[in-house]
Amino acid sequence: MSTVAETIDPYDITQRSNGLRRRRITEKLMGVLAIGSALAAVGILALVLGTVIYKGIDALDADFFTQPRPLFGAEGGIADALVGSALIVAMCVIFAVPVAVLVAIYMAEYASPRVSVFLRIVLDVLNGVPAIVVGIFIFGILVVGHGQSAIFGALALAILMLPMVARATQEVLEVIPRSLREASLALGVTKWRTTTSIVLPAAVGGILTGVVIAVARVAGETAPLLFTSSIAANQVSTDVFHALPTLPVAIFTFADSADPADQARGWAAALVLIVFVLVTNILAKVFSRGRAGR
Amino acid sequence: MSTIDDSAAPGAGLAGTGLERRGLRLGDTLFRGVALAASAGSAFLLGWIAFKVLDLAWPSIEEFGLSFIWTDAWDPVTEQFGALAFVYGTALTSAIALVLAVPISIGIALFLTELAPRRVAAPIATMVELLAAIPSVVLGLWGILVFGPWVAQHLEPLLQNYLGFLPIFSGSPSQAGILPAALVLTIMIVPIASAICRELFLRVPRDLTDGALALGSTRWESIRGVTLAYAAPGIAAAVLLGLGRAFGEAIAVTQVIGGGNSINVSWFATGDTLASRIASQYQGATSQLQAGSILYLAAILMAISLVTNVVAQVIVRRFEKARRAA
Amino acid sequence: MKKALVATFALAALVAIALVSGRAAAAPAATQDTSLTGTGSSFVFPLVSKWIPAVGQAYGINLTYSLTGSGAGIAGVTARTVDFGASDAPLSADQLTACKSCVVIPWALSATSIPYNVPGLGGRLRIDGATLSNIYLGKITNWNDAAIKKLNPKLSLPNLKITPVFRSDSSGTTYNFTEYLSSVSSEFRSKVGNNTAVNFPTGVGARGSAGVAGVVSKTEGALTYVDVAYSLTNHFTFAAIKNRAGAYALPGLRGIKQAVSQLPKKVTSLSQLKIVDPPKSAGKQAYPISTFTYVIVPTNSKSAGDVRKLVYWAVTQGQQFGPPLLFQPLPVTVQAFAYREIKKIQGV
Repeated sequence: MSTVAETIDPYDITQRSNGLRRRRITEKLMGVLAIGSALAAVGILALVLGTVIYKGIDALDADFFTQPRPLFGAEGGIADALVGSALIVAMCVIFAVPVAVLVAIYMAEYASPRVSVFLRIVLDVLNGVPAIVVGIFIFGILVVGHGQSAIFGALALAILMLPMVARATQEVLEVIPRSLREASLALGVTKWRTTTSIVLPAAVGGILTGVVIAVARVAGETAPLLFTSSIAANQVSTDVFHALPTLPVAIFTFADSADPADQARGWAAALVLIVFVLVTNILAKVFSRGRAGR
Repeated sequence: MSTIDDSAAPGAGLAGTGLERRGLRLGDTLFRGVALAASAGSAFLLGWIAFKVLDLAWPSIEEFGLSFIWTDAWDPVTEQFGALAFVYGTALTSAIALVLAVPISIGIALFLTELAPRRVAAPIATMVELLAAIPSVVLGLWGILVFGPWVAQHLEPLLQNYLGFLPIFSGSPSQAGILPAALVLTIMIVPIASAICRELFLRVPRDLTDGALALGSTRWESIRGVTLAYAAPGIAAAVLLGLGRAFGEAIAVTQVIGGGNSINVSWFATGDTLASRIASQYQGATSQLQAGSILYLAAILMAISLVTNVVAQVIVRRFEKARRAA
Repeated sequence: MKKALVATFALAALVAIALVSGRAAAAPAATQDTSLTGTGSSFVFPLVSKWIPAVGQAYGINLTYSLTGSGAGIAGVTARTVDFGASDAPLSADQLTACKSCVVIPWALSATSIPYNVPGLGGRLRIDGATLSNIYLGKITNWNDAAIKKLNPKLSLPNLKITPVFRSDSSGTTYNFTEYLSSVSSEFRSKVGNNTAVNFPTGVGARGSAGVAGVVSKTEGALTYVDVAYSLTNHFTFAAIKNRAGAYALPGLRGIKQAVSQLPKKVTSLSQLKIVDPPKSAGKQAYPISTFTYVIVPTNSKSAGDVRKLVYWAVTQGQQFGPPLLFQPLPVTVQAFAYREIKKIQGV
């Protein structure tokens, strides 16, 4: 007598099975746990974001965006940290993206499969190097003897950005149909011209998405900047040859303070950073959706 | 006479003047050379990082040798250093974080792929991604000012009330310690692991799960028997990637772990992890030996991250090979 | 493709705006052509903060100082990543050699306070060196311990766990505090010792003066050591410490002044500047945990000339900014010592 699970008649003793009831209970339980996990994740997100918004929003006034970080016991804002972060992230992109794209091109267009696999491993391992080790590395080879500078900070962040952008670029390049390249080569265009004028433009959307995602990650990195660009004047400066204050390091410092005004500034700075990261993430999504639609 | 020059590099195309052909080859060679240089440079960079860390750690490696790894000491006054307390801290916080994060991540992934209607799944998936995007320094700020005090005032007393007979929940509640740090790490691992799991579960062939359901299993049984079994290697890889993230996290951990020097059974006690100790003490090392010892910690950290990374990749590669063969 | 272009332009515009606004806001600073960078002690940070604008006006020196702890100050100047380092701990012989011809100059004088967070006491806590050592050794764990009761018969001590908080970074304040505890307790000296970073057997660590102050303000029953300027700014109650004269002293200007009253007439070396646990003859109000704080300067770096101006200004006119922050102006003998050391800074 076949008994499909759904048609068990609970009043028919011949059909009732404790095992089945237990299985159903387990099923319901797992469902509840799954929903619970999702709710927990959403809950934590709401909690963290909510706290940041709630505690940070009061400190967001005009002064906050135009005044530099305060000295001991004074008033101030995060203007110098905003400028510093913007400059360092911009330089980081300039340092990392060309190299990353070239590596990806080499892997996709020129390298033999074994070299390609080797480079993939190199990039994945590089991606796994903890940010703090990268910070110490740049500190050891550049900062010692020369002092900190925003450029060194940007170099450290560029090392973090490189594998992310290279992988994203390589994946995009692989998706571009071979026929595109072959048609171009058949028409007499040189390989390098093919790559730069035909393949790359087709990949730009994907590369940009990868860059934007990497920027969102790197903008919040604190550890490398602690060693390379943390001793900076409390004033807005664009001198990249000296250390510049940055948003993550400022938040890190504010977090420790006992002064409630400093803590409020920390929350507000965290709010600014989160908004930036969220906006860039959404931007990346918009890009990739636009690409997929094309 | 043939105008096609077959000795030219691919892409040289139809023959032009000799000069043109040479110029074209130059462009190709140059470009290839630059791309090769970038790639070689990246590989070289990785090697240089490893070398530099070992080089800076050398004074300590020379002094203490391998026994540094299992020595429990950290006394700058007597210049005795050993990594055991921090290896323990790293292992413990990561283990707690994994044990908590993996079920939660699988739960979230299952919810998103099996239970939730598409309209609900998309925004929730986005929210989980946003959780991944929160910078660690912001989690650290939240940890010091909000979460740590909550753990000390509510969670730890609760645990002590009901499970206080266990030595891990003994001692007095503290807002800085192993437990808050492990919980913050959990929050960091969950989004990554759940995103990977979600991808994995979406790729499980429907016919397998349908077959299980047709044979009379409940939804959960088909998930357990088919989906999870099928995705197991991938889940292992996700776990390892999350682990790698947990090992290397310095900033958020250092803000809530309390900088303790010794190994303590209680999870309420302060402690320290490899990455966190590097972050808090590197700049202030008062002697060559202390600086070297901190770099020795970095070398251990790098080795652990490397091994985790490589194992994860091996699993993924073998997984893909098996899948392709099947 | 269009979206990509838009995004690139947006990014470029953002950078441009940042640069322009940065230049506009930095314009006044552009007139100051020398910039000096220093790092180290968080102890002296409140005073240096007052010096930064003043020294900018006096000499056009653009001074940057950030707190990383005394240990990082020593390490920074040794690695020449900064122009000068600030430390509350004098350099050891090894550190001095490693620094390669640096001079160590005392440039401020203040005290380490012992703030605590114990509600409902009904008065100021009194404590002595032995009890403090035992707290940090983990032998006294509760506020209603007999030893504390004995010193504070009139206070209502609650049944509350003591959380000793210490500096997890390399700190000159730790040096000062452990120097005091080592001199009053031989057990502390042998078990923990005296250094900028020590292995405290118990307690919670936090980074920087701000960090320890933060933990104390959030944890009932916590107790820590931090320079008195931080206690003052954060409105902490700090303990009165028993000195050798048998009286309980506070880290005020008078307490610090009496603590340094026993210096020799001519100071010839840094070892004579140890002022913790002053003798009975110092006075009834001598505060036992006072300390000088030092600036470490390479004698032959590129910026030595400017640092020389800075340090000279600091030990003379800079001292007047001290009293509101409870930095006692340097005694004349120490100033004379400082002048002699400053002369050693040659410049390239």
